[in-house]
Amino acid sequence: MLGKGVVGGGGGTKAPKPSFVSYVRPEEIHTNEKEVTEKEVTLHLLPGEQLLCEASTVLKYVQEDSCQRGIYGKLVCTDFKIAFLGDDESALDNDETQFKNKVIGENDITLHCVDQIYGVFDEKKKPLFGQLKKYPEKLIIHCKDLRVFHFGLRYTKEEEVKRIVSGIIHHTQAPKLLKRLFLFSYASAAQNNTATDPKNHTVMFDTLKDWCWELERTKGNVKYKAVSVNEGYKASDRLPAYFVVPTPLPEEDVRCFQGRGIPIWCWSCHNGCALLKMSALPKEQDDGLLQIQKSFLDGIYKTVHRPPYEIVKTEDLSSNFLSLQDIQTAYSKFKQLFLIDNSTEFWDTDIKWFSLLESSSWLDIIRRCLKKAIEITECLEAQNMNVLLLEENASDLCCLLSSLVQVMMDPHCRTRVGFQSLVQKEWIMGGHCFLDRCNHLRQSDKEEVPVFLLFLDCVWQLAHQHPPAFDFTETYLTVLSDSLYIPIFSTFFFNSPHQKDTNMHQRQLSLPLTQSKSSPKRGFFREETDHLIKNLLGKRISKLINSSDELQDNFREFYESWHSKPTDYHGLLLPHIEGPEIKVWAQRYLRWIPEAQILGGGRVATMSKLLEMMEEVEHLQEKIDERHHSQGALPAEAPSLLRSSARLSSLFPFALLQRHSSKPVLPTSGWKALGDEEDLAKREDEFVDLGDV
Amino acid sequence: MEHIRTTKVEQVKLLDRFSTSNKSLTGTLYLTATHLLFIDSHQKETWILHHHIALVEKLALTTSGCPLVIQCKNFRIVHFIVPRERDCHDIYNSLLQLSKQAKYEDLYAFSYNPKQNDMERLQGWQLIDLAEEYKRMGVPNSNWQLSDGNREYKICETYPRELYVPRIASKPIIVGSSKFRSKGRFPVLSYYHQNKELNAMANRAAGKGYENEDNYSNIRFQFVGIENIHVMRSSLQKLLEVNGTKGLSVSDFYSGLESSGWLRHIKAVMDAAIFLAKAIMVENASVLVHCSDGWDRTSQVCSLGSLLLDSYYRTIKGFMVLIEKDWISFGHKFSERCGHLDGDPKEVSPVFTQFLECVWHLTEQFPQDFEFNEAFLLQIHEHIHSCQFGNFLGNCQKEREELKLKEKTYSLWPFLLDDQKKYLNPLYSSKSPKFAVLEPNTVSFNFKFWRNMYHQFDRTLHPRQSVFNIIMNMNEQNKQLEKDIKDLESKIKQRKNKQTDGILTKELLHSVHPESPTLKTSLCFKEQTLLPVNHALRTIEGSNPADNRYSEYAEEFSKSEPGVVSLECGVARMTC
Repeated sequence: MLGKGVVGGGGGTKAPKPSFVSYVRPEEIHTNEKEVTEKEVTLHLLPGEQLLCEASTVLKYVQEDSCQRGIYGKLVCTDFKIAFLGDDESALDNDETQFKNKVIGENDITLHCVDQIYGVFDEKKKPLFGQLKKYPEKLIIHCKDLRVFHFGLRYTKEEEVKRIVSGIIHHTQAPKLLKRLFLFSYASAAQNNTATDPKNHTVMFDTLKDWCWELERTKGNVKYKAVSVNEGYKASDRLPAYFVVPTPLPEEDVRCFQGRGIPIWCWSCHNGCALLKMSALPKEQDDGLLQIQKSFLDGIYKTVHRPPYEIVKTEDLSSNFLSLQDIQTAYSKFKQLFLIDNSTEFWDTDIKWFSLLESSSWLDIIRRCLKKAIEITECLEAQNMNVLLLEENASDLCCLLSSLVQVMMDPHCRTRVGFQSLVQKEWIMGGHCFLDRCNHLRQSDKEEVPVFLLFLDCVWQLAHQHPPAFDFTETYLTVLSDSLYIPIFSTFFFNSPHQKDTNMHQRQLSLPLTQSKSSPKRGFFREETDHLIKNLLGKRISKLINSSDELQDNFREFYESWHSKPTDYHGLLLPHIEGPEIKVWAQRYLRWIPEAQILGGGRVATMSKLLEMMEEVEHLQEKIDERHHSQGALPAEAPSLLRSSARLSSLFPFALLQRHSSKPVLPTSGWKALGDEEDLAKREDEFVDLGDV
Repeated sequence: MEHIRTTKVEQVKLLDRFSTSNKSLTGTLYLTATHLLFIDSHQKETWILHHHIALVEKLALTTSGCPLVIQCKNFRIVHFIVPRERDCHDIYNSLLQLSKQAKYEDLYAFSYNPKQNDMERLQGWQLIDLAEEYKRMGVPNSNWQLSDGNREYKICETYPRELYVPRIASKPIIVGSSKFRSKGRFPVLSYYHQNKELNAMANRAAGKGYENEDNYSNIRFQFVGIENIHVMRSSLQKLLEVNGTKGLSVSDFYSGLESSGWLRHIKAVMDAAIFLAKAIMVENASVLVHCSDGWDRTSQVCSLGSLLLDSYYRTIKGFMVLIEKDWISFGHKFSERCGHLDGDPKEVSPVFTQFLECVWHLTEQFPQDFEFNEAFLLQIHEHIHSCQFGNFLGNCQKEREELKLKEKTYSLWPFLLDDQKKYLNPLYSSKSPKFAVLEPNTVSFNFKFWRNMYHQFDRTLHPRQSVFNIIMNMNEQNKQLEKDIKDLESKIKQRKNKQTDGILTKELLHSVHPESPTLKTSLCFKEQTLLPVNHALRTIEGSNPADNRYSEYAEEFSKSEPGVVSLECGVARMTC
C-alpha cells in the first residue's frame, strides 16, 4: 500500500496518476509538427581528415530513455570517424573541453572503435555486413570501448540511408590496407603541429642508448649487453633494431634463426636475476634440421647456464598457461554484459549478474595471469633464479607477463613515465601484433584477442588494491585502453617496430618494398611448436622445472609472508588473488551505462575529497614557506579545482551526468524534485576538471 | 564457576583458517568466567567472549590432537587443536554451558562494571531521548498527536508506551484497529518528514499476510519481495560457507555469491527503502509499511528509508537515535534474533546484521554523506551480540522495563560517543543540506561482499593500506600545519611588539618543525586497520578486551617503523 494518492496528513491533494500511454512514436510526433528542428552543428575535421558520406534527419536515440526519445541530426562518416551532429544537450562543447581525458567527442566513433553493427528490420535486430539488399530502419553500433549507439533512419531519405549505411559498413568492416590507415594522412597533414613535449621522458627503446640506460638503471649491465646486430632489421623483422642479450652470446647466433631461440633480456632484479624471453624455433620435420636446432639450443643454454648466470627456470607459456583462444572467448562473453541495447535488457541480465560474470571467466583469467606473475616474481626474488619466458613468437603472453612482473617488482614502472616506457619496451619493441590483435585492418576476426586490455586490467587490479603505490589512476588506464582505437597515435597500430619503421619512414628508407616481408600470419590456434623445444632440451628442462607441489609450497610461503608484512609502496608489490579480490574494472566497462551510476557518490566522491585535502595541505605548506621566507603579503588563494565541487556522478569523468531511467518494481517518476531546485540546475552544468585523475 | 572444569591448557595450536600452507600458532588456552583466552608464543592474545560463541564443535581426533572449532556471532571462526582429548572435552562442555545462558540475569551486562556511579549510568541511559527525536521531526502537530492508549502496554505489549497517531484517530478507532493486527500492532508514526511545503510521513504497522486493497480508497499497493527470517538465515549461512573456503577461486566465489542469494536479499531491502523514500519525496505521499509482525522487515525498511531521507540519521548520534527508535522501541526481538539466551534456534536470524550491511553499502556508495565509518557499524554489530550493555537485551520495551535494565546495566551509546573520534568518517562533508536525499543505485554490480564484516578477524585477507588511512593522515597533517601557522603568526606579533624591526631570528625559524614528522611519514604508515590505530583503542572495555585485529597491526607497526610508533602500540593491553 505504498505510493501515490493516499491522503497525506498535511499534503492533502492527490497527485495526478499517469494514465496516458502514447502510441505514437516520437519520430511521428516530430514529423507531424512538420518542423524538424535540426540545429546545424559544424563538423570538426582533423588535419588530413576527409568527409566520405553523410545523411540528414537521423534520429539518435537517447538510449536510457524508455520512451525512445531522440535527437535529430546529421550522421556523417569520414575516413577517421563516424560522427553524429545534433543539438545534443549532453554533448555541450563547453563542457567537453573540460574533460582532459576525452580524446574524441561524445558522439564520435572512430572507425577502429566499431565492434559490431546491427540493423533493425521490422523490429528484428540482425548483424550487418557486406552488401545489403535491404536497408534497416535503425542502425545499432556497438563500440570497442563498450558504447552503444542507436540511430533511427526512418525519416532519412532513401538514397542517404543507402549511402551512409553502406559507407559505414564498408569503412569499418571491409579489410583494409595498412597504408590506408588514417594515421598516415593525419601524420603527413599535421606533421608540423605534432610538437613533442620535451618534458616527456618516456623511453622509446629505439636507440642503443635507451637500452644501455635501462641496463644501467636495473644494474643488468654486468651480465648483459645491448646489441645492434639487428640494425636495419637485417637479422629479424620480428625483433627491434636494438635489444639486450647475455654478454657472452655471440651476435651471429641472432642471425641463425632470425632471432628465434635467443634469450632476450627483459629486466634485471636487484639481486642480479633476470627476466628473459625467447621465441620458439620454427617447427621442422627434417631430422637433419632438427639436429641443427638441437645443437644451436645446446650452445645457447650452455652460455646461460654457466656462472655468472643464475639457474634458469623456463616458463613455457604456450603449453602450460592460458591460450589466446581462452582469452578471446572469455572477453567476448564478458563484454556482452556491458553492451546493452536497452534498459529492459539491462535489468534482465542484472538479475543473473554474478553467474553471468562467473561464466564469462574473464575475472578468472585475470587471476591466473596475476598468479603466474607472482610465481615468476617468487623465482626471481626468493629463489634467485633467472626466468626464461617461452612462447611461439614471444609477443603475446610474454609481453603480458614480463610487463606485469616488472610492474610488481620495479616501482619505476608504477610511475607514469616508467609505465609508458615499459609499454614501449615490452609491447611495442617486444613486437606485440597490435594490428592483428585489435583487428585494425579487419583482416581476421580470429586474430583479434584483447591481450593488451587483459594486461591493463591486471594492472588495474593491482592499482585498485594498492592505490598509493601508483603514480597514475584508473582513468589513465582507461584512457590508455581507449587510445588503442584512435588512429592518431601510431603507437598501437603496427605489428612490429620493423613494420612501423618501414611504413612510417618509407621515403627515407631505401629498402625495396618487396624485400620487407609482410608480417607472417601467426595462427595461434594451430599446435604450438614448443614441444620441439621441450623435446630438444629434454632432461635439462625437466630438471629445472620444479615439481608442481614444491612450487606451490614456495609460492604459498612467498605470497603469504609478503601479505603478512607491512607494504613498502616503493618496493615489491603483490596483488591479493583470492577470488573475491578480483574485481570488475567498473570505470572501463560500466562507464556508459546510466543504470549503473550513483548520483553524488561512488569513488569519484572519495577522490574529490582526497584532492581537496591534498590541495589544502599544499596550500598550508605554501603559507608556512611564505612565512619562512618572510616575503610579505600572501599570494591570493589559488582557486581550488574542487572547492566548488558539485555532487558528481560515479560515471565521471566519462559519461555526463544522466538522470535515472525507469526500473522495474519502483515507480517511474524521476528524482527531479530532490534537493534544492536551484542546486540541481547548477549541478547540471558544473563540471570540474579532474583530467589528471 | 561450576561450568569450568579446566581453566588452562598448554600446547594448544591455533590454525589460520585461510592459510593455504596450514600455518598455526602454539600457545596456552585459558577459560575465564566471561572469556576464552588464547595466548600464543609471541604473547599475542585472542579473547573470545562466551556470549559471542554461536557454535562449538569437536571434530574427529587427529594425530596431532583433538580439533575444536568455535564459530562466533561476530563471524570469528577459530580452529584449535588441543593435544589431549580429555582437555578438549572439558573445554567443549564448559563452552557449551557458558555460551548458552538460560536467564537474562546470567548475561554479562548484569555483571559488567565500568566503574561508574548510578548517576553516570542513568545519564548514559538518558543520552538518547526519543521524545526529543519526535520533537525534532516536528510532531505533535496539527495532524499527529501523542496517544496515551498504550501507556500501560494495554493495546500492544511490544510497542513502546508513547506512540504518535493521526489526530483524527480516536482511542476507539485505535483499539478497534489493533484488533485486526498481529499482536495488536496497529499503524503508528515512525518518521515524519518535513521539507518545505511537503508534509509526508512513513507509518509502520503490521498485519499478518496481505492487506486487502478493497478496504482502502486512494491507495496504491506495492508488494516488495523481502524474504522471511528463515530464508535470510540460511542465505547468510550459505554465503559464509562459500567464502570460508581456502584459496577461493573467482568462479566459485561468484557462483557461490549468486546461489546464496544474500546480496539479492540486501538489494530487495534496499529497493524497498528507495521506494519508500521516493514515495515520500517525489510523490508527496504517506507510506504504510507492514510485514507479518512488523518487527523485522518493517524495521529494516522504515529505518533505511529514514536514513535516505534525513541526513540527521547519517550522523553518529542520529544513527543511535534511529536504532533506538525503529529497532529497540518498536520491538525488534533482539534477544531472540541474536540468540542471547538458550532458546529456539529458528528465531535466530541476521535481520539487524542485514540492516547494518545495507547501511554499509550506502556508505560505500556515498562516501561523503555519513559522519560515521565502517568501524562504527562493526562495533555496534559486536555489541548486539556481546550482551555487555543493556540496550539490546530483551525483545521489547515492556520486557526491558521488567528486567530493570536501566538500573542494573549500562547503555552502550555513551561509550561509543566518548570514543567517537575512532568512528569518524574523514570524508564526511557536513555541509550538505539537511534533506539531501540519497539515491542509491541498486544495480547488482554495486553490491559487494562485506569482507570487513564477515572476515573481520581473518586479517590475512585484508589489504594493508587504504585511501581511508591516507585521508585520516592527511587530516592530521592539516591540523598540524594550521597549528604551525597560528604559532608563527602569534610569534610574529610578539616579535613585532618587542623589536620594531621585522627580522626573523634564528630561534623563530627553528620553532616550527620545518618538516613536521607527520609529513615525512606521509606514505610510510602501513596498516589497514578496521579501527584507526592512532587513538587509544577500545577505551570501552570491549567484549574481547584485547582485540587482536588492531593490536597486531600496531605491534608490527612498531617494529618496522619506529618513527611512527607514537600511534599507541600495545594499546590493546591497557584495557585488560
